[in-house]
Amino acid sequence: MGTTFLPVASIVTGVGGRDGWMSVLPGFAVGIPYCLMILSLSEQYPRKNLLQISAAVFGKWIGNFIGLIYILIVAYLGGLLLGQVGDIYQASIMPLTPLWVFFLGGIFLVLFLIKSGIEVFARFSEVVFPLIVFALLLNVGLSIPRIEQGELLPILSEGFKPLFLGAIKVIPFVMTYMLFLAGVIAFLPTGKQELSQLKKGVWRIIFLVGILDALVVLIQLLVFGPAETIRLVYGLLVLGKLVEVSRTVAGVESLFLGVWLSAAIIKIGSLFFSVIWGLESVFGLKGVKWRHAIAVVFLGISFRFIRGPALITEIGLVDEYLTMPFVALWIPILWGVSRWKRGAGN
Amino acid sequence: MKTDRRKEHKFILRLSIIACLLFLTGCWGKREVEDLAPLLGIGFDQGEKPGTFLVTEQFARPKKDSSSGAEIEDRTFSVEASSSREAFEKFSKVAYRTPFMGSLKVIIIGEDFAKSGDFNNVLDFAQRYAEFRRSMYIVLAKGKALDLLNLKLRSGLLPAMAIKSNIEGGDEISVFPTVRLGHYLTILGEKSTAPIFPVVESVKTGEGVEYKTDVKDEAGEIRIQGAGVMRGDYLADFLTDEESKGYMWLENDVVHRLINTVDLEENSIKFGGQVIESSTKYKVKANNDKMELQYKIKTSIAIDEIMGLKKQLSGPEWVELVKQAEKDFAKVIEKECNSSIKKERELGLDFLGIGRHIEQKNSKYWKTIRDQWEAEIADFPISLEVLVTIHHSGMSSSSATNSGGEGQE
Repeated sequence: MGTTFLPVASIVTGVGGRDGWMSVLPGFAVGIPYCLMILSLSEQYPRKNLLQISAAVFGKWIGNFIGLIYILIVAYLGGLLLGQVGDIYQASIMPLTPLWVFFLGGIFLVLFLIKSGIEVFARFSEVVFPLIVFALLLNVGLSIPRIEQGELLPILSEGFKPLFLGAIKVIPFVMTYMLFLAGVIAFLPTGKQELSQLKKGVWRIIFLVGILDALVVLIQLLVFGPAETIRLVYGLLVLGKLVEVSRTVAGVESLFLGVWLSAAIIKIGSLFFSVIWGLESVFGLKGVKWRHAIAVVFLGISFRFIRGPALITEIGLVDEYLTMPFVALWIPILWGVSRWKRGAGN
Repeated sequence: MKTDRRKEHKFILRLSIIACLLFLTGCWGKREVEDLAPLLGIGFDQGEKPGTFLVTEQFARPKKDSSSGAEIEDRTFSVEASSSREAFEKFSKVAYRTPFMGSLKVIIIGEDFAKSGDFNNVLDFAQRYAEFRRSMYIVLAKGKALDLLNLKLRSGLLPAMAIKSNIEGGDEISVFPTVRLGHYLTILGEKSTAPIFPVVESVKTGEGVEYKTDVKDEAGEIRIQGAGVMRGDYLADFLTDEESKGYMWLENDVVHRLINTVDLEENSIKFGGQVIESSTKYKVKANNDKMELQYKIKTSIAIDEIMGLKKQLSGPEWVELVKQAEKDFAKVIEKECNSSIKKERELGLDFLGIGRHIEQKNSKYWKTIRDQWEAEIADFPISLEVLVTIHHSGMSSSSATNSGGEGQE
């Protein structure tokens, strides 16, 4: 799920207009075959990550080249997302706090989580995920009184093209998750029963997240209308500001920002882990000093993008033109070649 | 391996200490609540110099000797500025407290300023700066916003709070539109619909209401009545009370209404009542090879007042009387709606959102007319069906009448 629930409405409505919300779930569903391919590779090469599997399937040089691209993408995206923490907080609730406070605070939390290891990271995510779901549902539910009449209609007035365009914009979100899954599979059990559980989990989580994100887009469309949904950079926070319960509780956007921070830390943490695994697999670099070096790189990228509009545009470009094509090609080719090789070996 | 872990622990420890030093000593830009000046209302009028506007800001100042702690006093300033930020800078030089925009309840646009345009430019700050909430109300002032915000109301309320309270109680009478900043921005995004705002005016004694006043010729009350229709950035015209009421029916915005048939000349018996619930639906249908928008208003009314009834009614007569009331109320509603539709056609401005309704119900047809929609408004066929159901006629079947003779026909 990561941090998608903040920008997703503006992005899909931008290309899909009033029908953009319907493209979220199909966009997420594209992730299912990718997850299944990764799990199938994991079954074939137990306890190995996708970079190690690539080296085994394509040979060392091609494997290392893929690994290098992988490291560059995850490190760059991780740094940009760290920068987004500062952008969101400064633009919404803490306008006078310097950006470096958010950058340093964020990377400190990530480092702390990384130091605790992948198991603690997973448990942290397990605890935070229900909170994110609860906060989102609360925001959606409490925004119902603000719904404007008839903003949903007309449905499909432009045919199915907006759905297709919207789904293309959603796919990069899922592909970012694949980057993490590519590394974390080395830690996953590969027994038949466990794999079948993992496969079920993939279906369940992709649909859950897809439905939640679709709801987040839908409620913004219903409250703001399409033109405003596109224009608002962080529409969910504006929605949080509109929440009012019995004229006593108002403006709960800080709560949602707190939840979003946890999600951001998980996402940045997962990309941090990915860089660690990448460096280990490709260059054999491991140890504390390399983690600190990665943290410095993340900070460097954040400080490079202190202009909010440039940062948001850059994240969009990385998602669309780096993450999506890279993952979209790498995993199916790797899976196909590995199956072909296995077939040829037989 | 062990040295590595120890090193990491030490590093994290150092980082924790630095982080504690940084984060626990306080927050950047923190503002104690007693140092804040909560902004309640802001008004915009035409400035004297070209390119400027007169900004009036009404802040709340907590009363020192207040027993409840919730009582507030007026602190209102006006400055001429060419941007909202410049206005706030000027206020900050005078006020010792920091303006807090999160508490803003109402934005008042002065009549002259609304007519001169630049409307969206002054609202940009309110929709962009994160401290503001989109739930604040926007109203038009009959006259100057400055005059409204400087009124000394007999209720003791600050004008901004009085306007807010009037708007929030508006569901009881549903005679003027409620426009929040968020709603206005959504309507702007629709392009074909002309935005509309309620109109606030000061009321001196004798202007429809009589009251005792200490200062002669000074208004002590405010009233929300009618609405203003925008053409882009400009105020195009005002809607009368009747036209605004028609708008409320057609927009499905009537929650409760106090309604009477006094102005109907056909019948000697007049009814007064309260709308209990109402719903307006619309369809776009082909009628004689031409598309037509059909409104269907269904409303339930309780009769609270009957005038001109001079005899005791039998059971069947009582039933007939109620049926007559249904017809009369329907005529009143139709009249209000028609006057609103007539105004829309005259202005050539789609404040009723008819274009959007066509788009919602028949987007294919809308695509064929949307480019010449402004020209189409004048004669686009609209039909109206009003169904009134009287739930009850109050606590009595007949009116109190004399037993005969004196005063009785």
